[in-house]
Amino acid sequence: MFYKVLNGVKIIEYGNFISAPFCAKILADLGAEVIKIEDPCCGDESRLQAPFMQDIPGLENSGLFQYLNMNKLGVTLNPETATGMKILGELLKSADVFVENNSPKKMKKLKLSYTQVKKIKPRIIMTSITPFGQTGPYRDYASCELVSAHIGGVGYISMREGDISKEPIKLPAHLFSFQAGLSAAVATLSSIFRQSTTGLGEQLDVSEQESVIQNLNSSIARYSYAGQIMARTDAAGHAPFHILPCKDGFICAAFVEEAEWRRFVEVMGHPEWADNELFKDFASRAKYWDALKPLMIEWAMQFTEEEIYRRSQEKAVPLGAVRSAHQVLQDKQMAARQFFVEIERGSAGKLIFPGVPYRFSEIQMESPMAAPLLGQHNEEIYCGRLGYHKRDLAKFKEAGAI
Amino acid sequence: MNTPSLKGIRVIAFTWVWAGPWMGGVLADMGAEVIKIETRQRLDSQRVVKITKNLEQGPNQGQFNVTNRGIKSVTLNLKTPKGLEIIKQLVKISDVIITNFAPRALPGWGLGYDTLKEIKPDIILVTLPAFGSTGPDKDYLSYGSTLEAVGGLSSSFGYPGEVPVISGPYPSDPIGSMYGLVGVLAALNYRNRTGKGQHVDIAQNEGVTSLIPEVIMEEVMNGRTVPRMGNRDEIMAPHGCYPCKGHDKWVAIAVGTDEKWKALCRVMGNPDWAKDEKFSDQYARWQNQDELNKLIAGWTKGFTHYEVMQKLQKVGIAAGPSFNIEELVNDPHVKNRGIFIEQNHPVAGKTIVYRSPWKSALTAKNPPAPCLGENNIYVFKELLGISDKEIAELIETKVIY
Repeated sequence: MFYKVLNGVKIIEYGNFISAPFCAKILADLGAEVIKIEDPCCGDESRLQAPFMQDIPGLENSGLFQYLNMNKLGVTLNPETATGMKILGELLKSADVFVENNSPKKMKKLKLSYTQVKKIKPRIIMTSITPFGQTGPYRDYASCELVSAHIGGVGYISMREGDISKEPIKLPAHLFSFQAGLSAAVATLSSIFRQSTTGLGEQLDVSEQESVIQNLNSSIARYSYAGQIMARTDAAGHAPFHILPCKDGFICAAFVEEAEWRRFVEVMGHPEWADNELFKDFASRAKYWDALKPLMIEWAMQFTEEEIYRRSQEKAVPLGAVRSAHQVLQDKQMAARQFFVEIERGSAGKLIFPGVPYRFSEIQMESPMAAPLLGQHNEEIYCGRLGYHKRDLAKFKEAGAI
Repeated sequence: MNTPSLKGIRVIAFTWVWAGPWMGGVLADMGAEVIKIETRQRLDSQRVVKITKNLEQGPNQGQFNVTNRGIKSVTLNLKTPKGLEIIKQLVKISDVIITNFAPRALPGWGLGYDTLKEIKPDIILVTLPAFGSTGPDKDYLSYGSTLEAVGGLSSSFGYPGEVPVISGPYPSDPIGSMYGLVGVLAALNYRNRTGKGQHVDIAQNEGVTSLIPEVIMEEVMNGRTVPRMGNRDEIMAPHGCYPCKGHDKWVAIAVGTDEKWKALCRVMGNPDWAKDEKFSDQYARWQNQDELNKLIAGWTKGFTHYEVMQKLQKVGIAAGPSFNIEELVNDPHVKNRGIFIEQNHPVAGKTIVYRSPWKSALTAKNPPAPCLGENNIYVFKELLGISDKEIAELIETKVIY
């Protein structure tokens, strides 16, 4: 954990890949006990997803898996066997929250729909995160982060000055699966708050598509009030709002207020540009962008992104350096806030990971725990908690239940 | 039984633009009473936005109404001693204060955490500045795109082999909102258990970085920068967006296994090109994806994006249109789920908003976004017991302003 906030809250995660594991990670980071259930054969599929330490694929070598599952306990269990299902029932009986991201069809088949889980543990919070939610005509449709990004409407407006002849693209990595997990954690935290005072649970039906929709603030306003359909070419009427090259990389010069532009021309050492009729406001600068752009690039090419970033921010210009992961890892601001953390991973050694973006004034930050090896806590949970004998564990394993 | 989770929790919101207001909107869905403190001295920039077909119409608050729905608004000038006194009275009867203003704003009015704590010992303050409230760059300024640049997202965003670009939707804002809400709800849970309040400080740039661990861990583990990949995946192919019938219509398709590839080939009518060795296994397809994408585009062009989705979903392949906003609002599934809600705003008229991105039986029913100072009487008179006469004076002296 990072912060002891949710001590005593017990969570069972039957999740795979990103959305549910990330939701449970956030709760684990806040001190809830998360028992993660993994397939006995090869575990969570993110275990076999890049990046791998030194490019060596292996169940215990994925940076993605290790990030997503820090601070959790891990057991192997196959609920598709009758014995596995019986053990899961025992785990659920002592849980407060059940987090999962399996297809509604699979959960129904396993008798793990909310109605059925409620029979095992009446006051449970069940957070289900699926591409399209638990209801509606697409509930059983297949999806992945790419499809969610597009069917949620973000792909179509993914950039400001795109070329309509080229395909809409999505944002990098698996951003929207993470955002869905984050949103699910928010929903779950509000329900844990209610559960702690009323003892009641509920079903939380989180849709990755809807989580993508929450990014469409200006799109929906324009559609709603002007019938306008935004596309990825629409923002061309505003400049500068661009990423531009500089000496050693790129800068992001995106301004909203005229005062910011006036301060920026000072930073560029060209105060006279503020008086240039062609560059007088955002619309005009956009109109004459072909004239302005080379001037700005010519200036920017003399300096590094760090130089431009610092100089601009010192004059209250909200400009950003376009940082690579390498630069992010060396960021002094993040270092001052101790954002990156080092985690000891047993014999695998120490490794740096992104931490959490929140700091609590009244609670000490603690060192996080490494993600579990596949089945690492089987004995602790099955023998220590549920009272099975080690002999039983061997038999469960032979039978494919754990 | 169906009481919303945060019924009885009162939140004071010093919020503007997007990340802060969307926190308020979600808290309202959870049943909290959210009171936004505004002033004519400096309005939320989204208040004065004019998005309308009718050029005669004045500002209709555009996207302000989307994120601020369900909350209350009061006008109060905190630069006056009386205004400050009133806000302190409100703090006394509130549980949470949220803000996405710059870190110096609240302390500047004399409302730093230490002062707030003296007024209300178990108060929860959640601050959501761009780079956090501590550290050498704490006063740096930022919009969503700046955060994406500094947080490491922009450098990986763009078409393969091309320069990075600014994202259109600025997801860093709603990501900041959600992390802000993690802070609020974690602190409420902690207060429930211990009776203690808290200052939770959230750095939005760290929030962005925490959502792209693949990019960070590739650097940590292998010293490599993740290249810009557009729609491409690490290993899946096809994994892209393909043109369909009509103007600017596209469908996203992802194929992760040989079995799904064979299913795709069957749906396409087993064309000869698909039998080529170049596409015979996942790695081969991934290596030859430029060519593969052109060939698949040749097939998708013959159909609408809906037709392609239906044909492929029938055999279990992940596929869906790249919807524009109009298609999205009118899609049968989206309609069935009820994520978009039509409201009648007193000034702006018909307004479409969206609820929080989950379904819960406990979601509160809420009114449209407030007009400026709409709830002055409720807050100043009913909650704080200020007399009509005094309220009139406060308006006269531009304290309520």
